[in-house]
Amino acid sequence: MFPTTCRFSTSFVAAAKVLYGCAPFAFALVGLSLWLGGCSPPSPVTNGSVSAPSGKTVIDFWNGFTGPDGKAMDEMVRRFRKANPDIEVRTQTIPWGTYYDKLTLSLAYGGAPDVFVMHAGRLPEFASFGTLQPLDDFYAEAEAPWEKKFAPVPWRATFYEGKQVAVPLDVHPIGLYYNTKLFKEAGIVDAQGGAKPPKTFDEFIEAARRMTKDTDGDGRTDQWGFVFTWQRTNWLTIAGQFGASILSPDGKHSALDSPQNLRALQLMHDLIYKYKVAPKPEGVDAWLAFRQGKVGMALEGIYMLASLEEQKGLPFAGARVPQFGPIKAAWGGSHLLCQPKGIKPEQGRAAWKLMQFLSDQSLIWARAGQVPARSDIRSSPQFGALQVQTQFATQLPFVQYEPLHPKSNAIFPLIEPGIEAVMLDIATPQEAMRDVTRRVNQVLERP
Amino acid sequence: MNRYLSGAAKTPPRKSDGLTGVLFALPHLILFATFVLAPVAYGIYISLFRWHVLAKTHPFVGLENYGAALSDDIFWIALRNTVYFVVLVVPLGNMVSLGLALALSSVRRWGTFYKIVYYLPVVISIAVVVVLWRWIYNTEIGLLNLYLGSVVGALRSIGLPLPPFEPLPWLSNPSWVMPSLAMLTVWWTAGGNMVLYLAGLGTIGDDYYEAASIDGANAWQRFWAITWPLLRPTTLFCLVFSVLGAFQVFGQSYVMFTAVQGGPVSGPARSGLTLALYMYLQGFRQYEIGYGAAIAYLLFAIVLVLTIVQFRLLSSQGEAKS
Repeated sequence: MFPTTCRFSTSFVAAAKVLYGCAPFAFALVGLSLWLGGCSPPSPVTNGSVSAPSGKTVIDFWNGFTGPDGKAMDEMVRRFRKANPDIEVRTQTIPWGTYYDKLTLSLAYGGAPDVFVMHAGRLPEFASFGTLQPLDDFYAEAEAPWEKKFAPVPWRATFYEGKQVAVPLDVHPIGLYYNTKLFKEAGIVDAQGGAKPPKTFDEFIEAARRMTKDTDGDGRTDQWGFVFTWQRTNWLTIAGQFGASILSPDGKHSALDSPQNLRALQLMHDLIYKYKVAPKPEGVDAWLAFRQGKVGMALEGIYMLASLEEQKGLPFAGARVPQFGPIKAAWGGSHLLCQPKGIKPEQGRAAWKLMQFLSDQSLIWARAGQVPARSDIRSSPQFGALQVQTQFATQLPFVQYEPLHPKSNAIFPLIEPGIEAVMLDIATPQEAMRDVTRRVNQVLERP
Repeated sequence: MNRYLSGAAKTPPRKSDGLTGVLFALPHLILFATFVLAPVAYGIYISLFRWHVLAKTHPFVGLENYGAALSDDIFWIALRNTVYFVVLVVPLGNMVSLGLALALSSVRRWGTFYKIVYYLPVVISIAVVVVLWRWIYNTEIGLLNLYLGSVVGALRSIGLPLPPFEPLPWLSNPSWVMPSLAMLTVWWTAGGNMVLYLAGLGTIGDDYYEAASIDGANAWQRFWAITWPLLRPTTLFCLVFSVLGAFQVFGQSYVMFTAVQGGPVSGPARSGLTLALYMYLQGFRQYEIGYGAAIAYLLFAIVLVLTIVQFRLLSSQGEAKS
C-alpha cells in the first residue's frame, strides 16, 4: 500500500505544480469568461432596504413570478408602497422550480415570509401541517359580502377543514390557442371569413387533419394540427371532460384506472398514432413550434398569453377548450395569497392590507395573462376588452383543479411518467394506469 | 531515508509529541466534526424516523425506511440508471483525459494555454454547463444535430447509401438521455483527470523513451511498453475517483430536467433519475427527509463497498509493482 500512496502523493504534488504554473493564465481566462458570461457579484436577496426607517412595518412577500407576470406584480407592489408609506414591502421572486423547496424550509425552520403565493393544488398539503394562518377574523372584520366578490371555484379553494387560510388572486384556466392564419389557409372559417375555432371533437379532428401537412415535400410532416404541451394540464382537461377523477371520493384510493380515464388517455394516444394530427411528444418543443407558426392548435394555460403576444407576426386567438368528452371541464390553477401560522399581529395586519390591495388591483394582473378571481373586476369593461382572457374566463364555472388533497404533490410525480408512457406508445393506458394506481395507493396508504 | 525520518529515529518519541500533533490537527478536526461527522451521524438518526419536514412529530420507525426503499421499484430504476451512467462516463472520461494529457505533453508551444483551455470546463458551474448543452442537444435547432446532419448530407452527396438524416431527440427520447448526460459530463470533467494524467506522465523519466527509441520502438510500442505500465498508479487513482464521483451524479440531471417547471421530473420515462436525485426528490420535494436519508445511506453503502474493493485492488497493484 505504502509505495502506491507515495507515488500518488508525488503525482498530486506534480499535479498541483501543473495547475500552479497555469495560474496566471487561468485567472485571466476565468476572469474573461466571467466577464463574457455577464456574471455580476451576488446581489442582496431582497429588493428593499434591509433596515427600514423606524416606524415602518416591514413585511416580506415571496412569489415565483419570474416572467412578464413578475413585471405586473412589481407594478402592483409599487402602487401599494405609494399608497401605504407606513409599510415597507420586501419582495423576493424565486423561480417556481425551487420556490416551494425554499418556502417549505422557511415555514419549518424559520424565516418565513409574511405574505406568500400558494397554488390552489398545494394549499391542502401546507394547511394539513398547520403552517398557514387562519384569516377568518380578517374576513369577518371587513364589511363586504366576501363570497359574492369572488368566483365560487377559487373561493372554495381557500378553505381547509372549515378554516379560511387564503385570499384568491386569480384563476388561470387552460384554453385553446389557435393560429388564425393556418385556420384561414385551411378554409376553416365562419360566415364572415374569420378563423372558426372548433367546439366539438368532430370539428377539432377535422380542423387538425386539414392543418397537418408536409409543407416542403421532404416526406416529413412539418406542420401539425395540434400539439400536446404540458402533459399534466392537457390530460387533466381531457380526463375531466370524460368524467374521470384522480382519487376516489374519500381521497383514500387512486381512481386512475377508471374506464373514464382510460378512454381519455386512449384519445390522447389516438391523436398521435391513429388520427396522426399531433407529433409524438419527443424532440419537439411544442410551445416553441406553436410560437413559430408551425402548429394550428394547442391547449395551454392563460399565463402563456404573454409569450405569444411578444412573438412578432404570430396571428393567434384564444377560445374555450373544445369538447373532447361528454362533460364540460377545463383544468385551471389559482394563485392564492397566504400568511404563515403564528405571524406577529402587526405584520399580519400589514400583510392583510397587501393581500387586499393586490386583489383590488388585479386588473393589472389580468393584463399579464390571468383571470382575476374578483367578480367585479371580471365584469368591468376594461377586462371585457381582453380577447383571450374573456374567452378563457367563460370556463370559470367548470374549472377543475388538481385534486385538493394533502398528497396531491406527492402523487403527480408518479402519475406523469404513466401518461408519458402512453403518449410515447411504450405502454397501453391499462398497463400504465395499473402501474400508476399501485404506486399512488402506496403513497396514499403511507401515514 | 530523508533527514526528518532519520532525526526521528535518533530521539525516542516523547509523550508531548502526541499532544502537539493533536493540537495541530485540532482546527481541521473541529471543522470536520462539526460539518461532516455530526451531520453524517444525525443523518443516520433521521433515517430511523418518519420525518416530514413540516410535521410536528416524528415517530420512530426503525429500519422501515430502508425496507421501503428496497421494495420501491423507483429506487431500483434510479440505481440502474446510476450504474449505467457510471459505466458510460468512467471509461469514456478517462480515455478522453488520458488522450488529452498525451496530446498536451507533446505540445511544445502554447502548452499552458491549451492546458487551461481543456481544464476550463471544470471550473464552470453545472448550471451554466447544462444551459449550454441544452442548446447543443436541441433536436430542432441544436448544434449537434446540425453538424450530424451536414456530415450525413456530405456522405450522401458522395454517394454513400445512407438514409436521410432524422434529427436525434437527445434529451426527449428515454434511450438517449443517459448517453447525452454522459457526454456532457465527460466534457465538463475531463480536465480534472487530465491534470492528474499530465502529472503522472511528468514522473516518467525521459531516459526510458530514449532507450526505447534507440531500440527502434515506434510511438505505439513506446506507449504500451512504457507509458501505460508506468502510468498505472495514476490510472487506477483516476478510475477509483471517477467511479466515486460518477455514482453521486446529481447536478446534470437535476438542472436539465428537474429544476424546470412543467417538464417530466428527471427526464422522459425517469430515464435521467439517479440515486442522488431520487434522494433529493424524496427529501426536498416530498419533504420526507427520513426516507431521503435512508436512500442516502443505501447509496453510501454501495459506494463504500465499491471503494473498499477498489482500494484492495489498488494496494495489491501497488505491492505487485514495488
